[in-house]
Amino acid sequence: MRMFSVSHKTVFVVDHCPYMTESSRQQIECDMLTKSRAQGVIPLAPVSKSLWTCAVECSMEYCRILYDIYPTRKLVNYIVSDSEFHILNSWRQEDQSVQELMTALAAVGPPNPREDPECCSILHGLVAAVESLCKITEYQHEARTALVDLADRVANRGRIICLTNAKSDTHVRMLEDCVLETIQEQNKLAAGSDRLMPIQQCELVLVHIYPQGDDTLVSDRPKKEISSVLSSEVHSVRAGRHLASKLNVLVQQHFDLASTTITNIPMKEEQHANTSANYDVELLHHRDAHMEFIKSGDLHMAGSTSRDSGLKETVTLKWCTPRTNSVELHYCTGAYRISPVEVNSRPSSCLTNFLLNGIFTFTPSEIIVISHMLSCHGGEIFLHMLNSTRSTLEDPPSISEGCGGRVTDYRITDFGEFMRENRLTPFADMSLDAAGRPPIERAKAQLERHTRYWPMIISQTTIFNMQAVVPLANLIVKDTMTEDDVLTCQKTVYNLVDMERKNDPLPISTVGSRGKGPKRDEQYRIMWNELETLVKTHVGTSERHQQVLECIIACRSKPPEEEERKKRGRKREDKEDKTEKNGKELEEKMWTQDSDRLKGAMEREKEDQSESEVIKDSPDSPEPFNKKPRLATEEIQPLEKSKGPVSLFSLWTNRITQANSRKHQEFAGRINSVNNKAELYQHLKDENGLVAFPCPVF
Amino acid sequence: MPTVVLMDASLSMTRPVSLEGSEEFQRKNLAVHGLTMLFEHMAMNYRLEFTALVAFSSLWELMVPFTRDYNALQEALSNLEDFDKTCLELALQGVSTIMQQEWGSACPCQLVLVTDGALGIGRGSLRHSLATLKQRGEDKKFPLPFPFPCKLYIMCISNAEELQTTDAMDNLEQLLILSGGEGQIFTMEGPLCLKSVQAMFGKLIEQAYMPFHAVLRCGHLTSDVQVFPRPEPVMIDEEVDPVPKHVLTELEIVGFIEIADIASPPVLSRHLVLPIAVNKEADEVGAGTTDEMEEDTSTNQMAGKSPNFCVLLHGSLKVEGMVALVQLGPDWYGMLYSQADSKKKSNLMMSLFEPGPEPLPWLGKVSQLGPISDAPENPYGEDDSKSPFPVQPKSKRSYAQNVTVWIKASGLQTDVQKILRNARKLPEKTQTFYKELNRLRKAALAFGFWELLKGVAELLERECTLLPDSAHPDAAFQLSHAAQQLKLASTGDSQYAAFEHNITPMLTDFSGGGGGSDRL
Repeated sequence: MRMFSVSHKTVFVVDHCPYMTESSRQQIECDMLTKSRAQGVIPLAPVSKSLWTCAVECSMEYCRILYDIYPTRKLVNYIVSDSEFHILNSWRQEDQSVQELMTALAAVGPPNPREDPECCSILHGLVAAVESLCKITEYQHEARTALVDLADRVANRGRIICLTNAKSDTHVRMLEDCVLETIQEQNKLAAGSDRLMPIQQCELVLVHIYPQGDDTLVSDRPKKEISSVLSSEVHSVRAGRHLASKLNVLVQQHFDLASTTITNIPMKEEQHANTSANYDVELLHHRDAHMEFIKSGDLHMAGSTSRDSGLKETVTLKWCTPRTNSVELHYCTGAYRISPVEVNSRPSSCLTNFLLNGIFTFTPSEIIVISHMLSCHGGEIFLHMLNSTRSTLEDPPSISEGCGGRVTDYRITDFGEFMRENRLTPFADMSLDAAGRPPIERAKAQLERHTRYWPMIISQTTIFNMQAVVPLANLIVKDTMTEDDVLTCQKTVYNLVDMERKNDPLPISTVGSRGKGPKRDEQYRIMWNELETLVKTHVGTSERHQQVLECIIACRSKPPEEEERKKRGRKREDKEDKTEKNGKELEEKMWTQDSDRLKGAMEREKEDQSESEVIKDSPDSPEPFNKKPRLATEEIQPLEKSKGPVSLFSLWTNRITQANSRKHQEFAGRINSVNNKAELYQHLKDENGLVAFPCPVF
Repeated sequence: MPTVVLMDASLSMTRPVSLEGSEEFQRKNLAVHGLTMLFEHMAMNYRLEFTALVAFSSLWELMVPFTRDYNALQEALSNLEDFDKTCLELALQGVSTIMQQEWGSACPCQLVLVTDGALGIGRGSLRHSLATLKQRGEDKKFPLPFPFPCKLYIMCISNAEELQTTDAMDNLEQLLILSGGEGQIFTMEGPLCLKSVQAMFGKLIEQAYMPFHAVLRCGHLTSDVQVFPRPEPVMIDEEVDPVPKHVLTELEIVGFIEIADIASPPVLSRHLVLPIAVNKEADEVGAGTTDEMEEDTSTNQMAGKSPNFCVLLHGSLKVEGMVALVQLGPDWYGMLYSQADSKKKSNLMMSLFEPGPEPLPWLGKVSQLGPISDAPENPYGEDDSKSPFPVQPKSKRSYAQNVTVWIKASGLQTDVQKILRNARKLPEKTQTFYKELNRLRKAALAFGFWELLKGVAELLERECTLLPDSAHPDAAFQLSHAAQQLKLASTGDSQYAAFEHNITPMLTDFSGGGGGSDRL
């Protein structure tokens, strides 16, 4: 594979001298009278194209096919030659289109028959062509700049296609000599220039065009090396149809193209909408699309037929309408742009319009094997080569048999959502962000941010199983957060606090733990810890991310600080009353063992209410227990209410309760209760807020 | 990449190896020993490779067709008989047939030729084959190069000095060049013994059968994986950029794309991506396959139970119908997707795109693909009803625009008829009439086909005279106006023959107040 092969640069040199106005003598009847109108009307005399018209339209057809199949990197420079040369376009990519050339050709117009033939010559054009080949293209420039020291590795080769009417074989040799001389001269010039490159290889293709019915004065000659830089071939062709098929063969040779005829394409006739006839359409494409046939020597099996000159072969593939509309990923080993041979024939345009509307089609070469697929991507039609041989990857071990294959609770849906958020989209060229990163780097950075904390399985996470956390989880991964985003995050946190206050159940996985799993306050502790972990990974991103973390720290219950508080309290009490040490120890033991759960819930509740209360409730400002008014209810006095020392009575009751509780299983309602009050039928509330009253059965 | 082991079973392989003070070995024993080592290695670390065993002498025989059953290969090897003389050409022919029958002509293959370097004498010898290379017809061509890409590893049960005393080494080197130059000739170093044959096969294993291990990464989510078959280095442009590109051992996911958007892209090769549990004690790793070996089973069961990113990724890709775009190296990308082998079994698969900044025209440059959150509005729409793909090319292809081609007379005739058909329906068809007229005018001007302009002008004038009495008066005006404009253009006068100029309908009293202008 060589980027700068001979086909990188093609110069067309078309003769614009007076003799090109001569008629090709191929007559076209363009007055096709319908039978009903035929009476009494004299039909118009047929028109015939001049040699110039023939040369121009065939060269345009060559370019059309070339541009269809190689929209970039294969460049054409178009030159016409009369008493001087006229360069119609440049090597620049934006000049490479048939429209561009047509506009320029219209401006040139047909040759002037009255011009002095002595002043006119194709030589002007050929010299200009060689000069043009020395000019560097943007692709060559790019490659040279990229390679710096190895810039000389970028080759400069090219092809000159000269459409002219030569006088004799001697004349042809004169033209070849002239080209060779010019190359030698220009190469010397180019050696000392930055914008020019010496030509390493040049292919001269001389096409001698003569009117139909004339005898040719120039003989055909296959390609021969004239010197190490120049090779030349001569084609002597009659104008019209013959010239067209010659240039069609040449464009295939020059650009490694091959032809495929798709047969039996069903098409509906406008007049007979309910019947369909079958048509064939011939397409050109890179010959690699036939690789499988060529290599296996199956070209003939696949229905190859040689036609016309014997030079041109086409592989016939049978049409087969797509079986499914479902989106499938086919194993495709190549995709090649196509160009219809007869672009404006009815079957061709019918097929291309069908494909441009985005409908897939398959074309099998045999009945069983589907070998190719025609598919349109953004206004371009490609022939996809499908793999039809046995796969070396058949019968692989299933993913469920390998590492991680036995795990069943992957967060498949969540990761699906993650993938949707991390889908890619094209950005305009050179769109860098503030940090100078191209889009793809930003995509990677986003993936990095989004995965800083991403548990893979459901049982590893609490927060990602909670609908309530979603707004925060979505926002915290952003690169930049707005003030509103921070507010939303804070609201999420408050909402969680509220949930905790209401003692809402959490979706904590019980996998791996026996029984009911961790207790409710432990669940919330796990949840807050996880939330903190998530947010902490993003704290460095910006000030606002930091704010979210601060909010969480401020709002959540803080087990480490509680410990701290207890320790402080213990020290103080130790100092106060050393004699009651034993009692204190007992009390503390009970405090931690029995009332931890209740205390946690209560304290958190209070923290939510107001900060001042937190201070008041702290062990630093103990309330004398005996001053507390006794309540007449059955309610057990929450221990923390009385902070400081505990009364003997409560110690006693606690002990009794504890002893009793070992003898029976605690009621679920009491476990989940707040202040010893359990809300009934909680689950019903969760369901659309509907409250139903089932009859108790006794 | 399937492997064919081509084993020399000629009589010369039974030559004894002189060893002091131990039991007598034949060269064949050494070869079998080396191959056993290779098969054992493959069974352990490369077990998804399909391998076939072919034995040859003056004839060849497929001992074991392509299989992953290394016990079967081993068994066939130990039952190998001795035959007559060496005839490599026929055997290579056989390999070519076997390969193509099984895998077609595009599948790359590795050929391990095990021989003692005695390459036959007279007709059928390698020397004779190579000498007559250029005197053959199409039907008797030398089998190398194979139609499929092939790496040729020649394992000589012989040392280099011995081979150089004859022309064997030269012939083998020529053979390697003929096959395309990919591969290597291995010879034994020092005395011919079990140790040196082990060393030689060890080198082969290192070069061709080491599993490719990589880390698959998506941000902070990672998984150790084996990529099978090993991704081969790729050459893009031998002239400008002659360095082969290697797939990095860090495969980084850059983003995700819908299957419909990636649209069956062409790929260089496909590979299984198998999660592996890296054993910290030894570098040996299980390829995540079903295990026969007991000690592996327990570690594999352990590995099966700890969550793996590959499994998560595979599951989500499958459910969502998406692919992950993965970076394989600088300016080189591929895609990860779920590939179903059957209804129950599916796998994480990786396909490699052609190296380069823009492997798929419909995606545009990969470096210009960015996160949707950077776009001013979600390019997929709020309800996933749109897609930013395919990227539209800068210019339209010829078949997507209304080009004019008159190479065949019928093309020109159709275009003229279209104008006449519309001319007869004036003024209703004024719009289409002028559109077709201008299209023809433009093409005629570009092709320098002024004669046609005159001809069509005459046709329009004639149409004018043929108008029935019932015709709308505007029709006559438009026809003669159009005819006159064409005639002016055919003079080449720059005022009228400008390419960009369009003939516009004549403003008449009828068209001004009536229907004509409405249709413009």
